[in-house]
Amino acid sequence: MTFAAEGGISLFIPKVYDIVWSLIILAIVALFFYKFFMPKFQAVFDERAAKIEGGIAKAEQAQKDADAAKAKYEAQLSTARVEAAKIRDDARAEASHIIADARSRAESDAAQITANAQRSIESQQQQALVSLKGEVGTLATALAGKILGAKLESKDVQSSMIDSMLDELDKK
Amino acid sequence: MDIITLAEVSGNLNAIGYGLAAIGPGIGLGILIGKTIESTARQPEMGGRLQTLMFLGLAFVEILALLGLVAGFLFQ
Amino acid sequence: MNDALIGLTLAAEGPELPTINDFLLPQIIFPGTPFAMDRIILVRVLATAIMLIVLGVTAARVKLIPGRWQAAVEWVLDFVRDQIVYQVMGENRGKRYVPMITTMFLTILVFNLCGIIPGFNIAATATITMPLVFAGWCFVQYWIAGIREKGLGAFLKDELFPKGVPAPIYILLTPIQILELMVIRPVSLTLRLFANMVSGHITVALCLAATQWFLIDGPNKIMAILGIGTFAAGLFMTLFEMLVACLQAFIFAMLTTAYINMSYPEAE
Repeated sequence: MTFAAEGGISLFIPKVYDIVWSLIILAIVALFFYKFFMPKFQAVFDERAAKIEGGIAKAEQAQKDADAAKAKYEAQLSTARVEAAKIRDDARAEASHIIADARSRAESDAAQITANAQRSIESQQQQALVSLKGEVGTLATALAGKILGAKLESKDVQSSMIDSMLDELDKK
Repeated sequence: MDIITLAEVSGNLNAIGYGLAAIGPGIGLGILIGKTIESTARQPEMGGRLQTLMFLGLAFVEILALLGLVAGFLFQ
Repeated sequence: MNDALIGLTLAAEGPELPTINDFLLPQIIFPGTPFAMDRIILVRVLATAIMLIVLGVTAARVKLIPGRWQAAVEWVLDFVRDQIVYQVMGENRGKRYVPMITTMFLTILVFNLCGIIPGFNIAATATITMPLVFAGWCFVQYWIAGIREKGLGAFLKDELFPKGVPAPIYILLTPIQILELMVIRPVSLTLRLFANMVSGHITVALCLAATQWFLIDGPNKIMAILGIGTFAAGLFMTLFEMLVACLQAFIFAMLTTAYINMSYPEAE
C-alpha cells in the first residue's frame, strides 16, 4: 500500500477554504432552522395542542350541558310525578267526600222520611183515638142501653154505671 | 529473493498499531454497554439517565481508539 | 499527480482500491482562493441546498393535520426534542436548546447520508472541518451555559476541582479536567464523526471496487464467484453505513446535549 505517502496527517488539518465553507453552511443552516423551520413547526404544534385542548373543553362543555339537561328533565319528571300523586290524592279525597255527602244526604232524607211517616202515623193515630173516644162513649151507651134497657130504669144504677165506665175509659 | 528478504512482510505497521490500539477500547465499550444494559434490565425506570451516562462514558473510552487512529497517520 | 499515476498503475494490476486520497481532493472551483471548492464541499453545498428546499417546502406547507411526509418530519422533531433534549436536560432547561440540537441532528444526518446516496457517494461530513465546526458550536454553547448559569469562577471551580475528591488528587485531576474541558470534548466529537465517515466510505468503496474488479476487470472468470461475495458484503456495508449515519448523528446530538447539561448546576 502506497497511500498516504505525503498525505496522512494532512487529513486531520483543516484547510482554510474548508473552514470558510463549513462556517457559511453552518450559518445558513442554523439561520434557516432558528428563524424559519422551528418556529413554523412550533406554531403548528402549539396550535394543535390548543385545538386538542379546545376540543376537550368543548366536549366537557357538551357533557356538562347534557348533564344539566338531564338533571332538569329528571326534576321535571319528579315534579310531574308529585303533581300526579297530588291530583290522585285530591281526586280520591273528593270522591270520598262526595260519597260521604251523598250518604249523609241520603241518611238525612231517610230520617226525614221516617220522621214524616212517624208523625203522620201518630197524628192519624191521635185522630183515630179522638174520634174513637167520642164514638165509643155514645156507642157504648147506646149498646149498653139496648142490652141493659130494663135494668137502667133506675136512675141510680144508670148514673153509677156510666160513671164507672167513663172512669174506666179515662183510665185507659 | 535472497536470504535477507526471505521473510519480508510488506505493508504498513500503522495498521497493526491501530489494531492493537482498538483492543482496549473494544473491551471497554463491551463492559460499558453490557453494564448499561444490565442496569437497565434491573431498573428500567432509570433507563434514560443510564443511557446518558453511557454516552458520556463512551466519549471517554472511544477517544482512546480515535487517538490510536490519528496516531497511525501522525507517526509515520 | 503522482497519486493519479499510482492509481493508474494499480488499476492495471488489481482493483482500484480506495485510499485516503478520496478525502484529499483537488480544488475544482475557485482554486487558490479562500472560497475554493473540492468535491466534498460541492457535495456539502448541494446537500445543504436540497435539505433547505425540501424542509423549507415542508415548513411552508405545514398543516394542522399532517400528511405522511409531514408526519415523518414531525416524528423526527419529536424524537430529537423528547428522546434527546428533554430526556437529558429536562423540559425547563432543554427548551432553549431544542432548535440548536435539531439543527445539529438533522444537518449531520443529511450530510452523513450523502455517503450512501448514489451520485454523492461521499459523506459531506467527511472532512475534519465540518464536524469540527459543529463541535466548536457545542464548545461555545457549553461555555456560555456554564458562565451564564454559574458565573465564570464558579463554573471553572466546579469543572476543574470536582467535589468529593481528596485535595492531593487535584494535582493529577485538574490538568486532566482542563484537557477534558478545552480539548478532549470537542476533539472527540469531531474525530468520532469524521473517523466513522472516513472508515465507512473506505469500507463500502473497498467492497464495491473489489466487486468491479472480480466481475468485470479481473483476468480470471472463476474469480467472479468471489465477486458475488464482495457485492453482498458491499450491500451489507451500505446498509450498515445507513445505520452508522443515523447513530453518529444521534450520538453527536446526545453528547452535545449532555455536555451543555453538565455546565448547569447539579440540582434540577
